[in-house]
Amino acid sequence: MSRSVWKGPFVDSYVLKKAEKARDSGRNNDVIKIWSRRSTILPQFVGLTFGVYNGRKHIPVTISEDMIGQKFGEYSPTRTYYGHAADKKAKRK
Amino acid sequence: MTDLICVGAVSGSFGVKGEVRLKSFTANPEAIADYGPLHFEDGSQSLNLRITRQIKNGFAARLSGVSTKEQADALRGTRLYAPRDRLPSLPDDEFYHTDLIGLSVFDTGGTLLGSVKAVLNHGASDLLELSLTTGGTELIPFTVACIPTVDLSAGRIIADPPEGLLE
Repeated sequence: MSRSVWKGPFVDSYVLKKAEKARDSGRNNDVIKIWSRRSTILPQFVGLTFGVYNGRKHIPVTISEDMIGQKFGEYSPTRTYYGHAADKKAKRK
Repeated sequence: MTDLICVGAVSGSFGVKGEVRLKSFTANPEAIADYGPLHFEDGSQSLNLRITRQIKNGFAARLSGVSTKEQADALRGTRLYAPRDRLPSLPDDEFYHTDLIGLSVFDTGGTLLGSVKAVLNHGASDLLELSLTTGGTELIPFTVACIPTVDLSAGRIIADPPEGLLE
């Protein structure tokens, strides 16, 4: 059963406060450390970088528009799989 | 920069006519055939590869010089390598993981931070995992702001990690 629409998306209040503080200071590149993996990614978080805790360390997650509505925890896996580099590419944004 | 990169492995024989089970490590699994002829780890033998069909957990393939099930069984566990120069060149700001791994990472002041251990992507953006000289590992977003310079020829990366990341 999905969450009732009238409640709006769930976000831990401290995440909102930290994001607002970072946005007001204009230091968008700083990593905002959060432990709330259950919080929903809101439109006002776009462009900010959060350090989302995975139980061991904070994984840097830069928020883009297509991540809105997902949870922070989805971008901070608790298990790491390295695999092979082979011909895989990384793009510097 | 390594000359040979691992693109796949033989996981056993397939059928009784000398085909092998092939695991592909490339981003597009079928692209392994484009990098042929492939080599063993020591670069000794050159094998032409032809994918015959897709099977569970990989491909069935024919390797040149392998015509019996016994020969295919003998190759079980063998990793297959392609020369680095066979990978197509990339536009600016795009890099192969294999080129980035192992590069030394310096901060903007010239202090050695560590080396690149792995390149990860958890769905948000690419991340460089650094093995720090102080011990442990740390992740840095692979962005122009955090990684202003990547000098592959000199084998070094200049990083400007955001405040609070390397603590």
